[in-house]
Amino acid sequence: MASPVEQFQVQPLVGGESAVAFTNSSLWMVISAVAVTVFLMASMRGRALVPTRMQSLAEIFYDVIANMIRDNVGSGGRKYFPFIFTLFMFILFCNVFGMIPGGFTVTSHIVVTFALAAFIFIAVTIIGFATHGLHYLRMFFPHGAPLWTAVILIPVEIVSYLSRPISLSVRLFANMTVGHVLLKVIAGFVPALGIAGIVPFVFLVPLSALELFIAVLQAYIFTILSCVYLNDALHMH
Amino acid sequence: MAAGLRIAVELAAAVVVGAGIGLGLDHWFGTKPWLLIVFFIVGCCAGFLNVYRTAQELERRARERRRADGGESPGRADDT
Repeated sequence: MASPVEQFQVQPLVGGESAVAFTNSSLWMVISAVAVTVFLMASMRGRALVPTRMQSLAEIFYDVIANMIRDNVGSGGRKYFPFIFTLFMFILFCNVFGMIPGGFTVTSHIVVTFALAAFIFIAVTIIGFATHGLHYLRMFFPHGAPLWTAVILIPVEIVSYLSRPISLSVRLFANMTVGHVLLKVIAGFVPALGIAGIVPFVFLVPLSALELFIAVLQAYIFTILSCVYLNDALHMH
Repeated sequence: MAAGLRIAVELAAAVVVGAGIGLGLDHWFGTKPWLLIVFFIVGCCAGFLNVYRTAQELERRARERRRADGGESPGRADDT
């Protein structure tokens, strides 16, 4: 029986053992990016007033993200729509492609999710300083608090602020990894139990559906939290 | 389930960041256990703060949904 974590092995495809090798992880990222582009270009080509099935799917994605930005960031967030939309579509496609048997889940590696989260964290910090200047440092010390509490409050607020990229990346990574390990372990019981393997097999069907749901949900949560952080940077709390 | 996991990760992340800062500074200044202890406690406080804020936000979201279901106009989320 194959090890349940074998599916997360990163293998170089081109470039041998060097650090810049093109791996199966890179391949699936490229596939996701190309798939997003092809899907959006193909579905929006018609630009029909009465949308086709594909076009209304693309429009649903657009609506979901546009509403998310309007509700969480406000009208000032309009200009960040392209970035948020790209982020959502990329993570969504990476997660969902991970559900293809034999596929590779890019987001099950903390390096990938942390790179995404760190980019958002740095971008949000820069946007905050660009919008408010040095007033942005007010984030770390709320209005109205007595001055002597600064000794406690400022370190706590700084650690809380720094924990954002960690919680953002660990959440996506943990959900994807745990789900896939669970699927693989239960799938391993099917051949091992012989005729009784029908029991774990039946159990696998709803579990796969649940994993697909989690793949979509986690892409949504990652995006909505990026919006919340962006809102903090633009309006402060 | 998603909300519970979110809060759990939020709590753990702050503790990890706090302990990491403490370890790093200890290594740098050579004050072996003391800064780790201080920043571990600070990290715990930050974790509770994160949990409190997350819970508040979830509550606000739930209230908005209830209001929207009640038939009134949900309006735009205000920024306060």
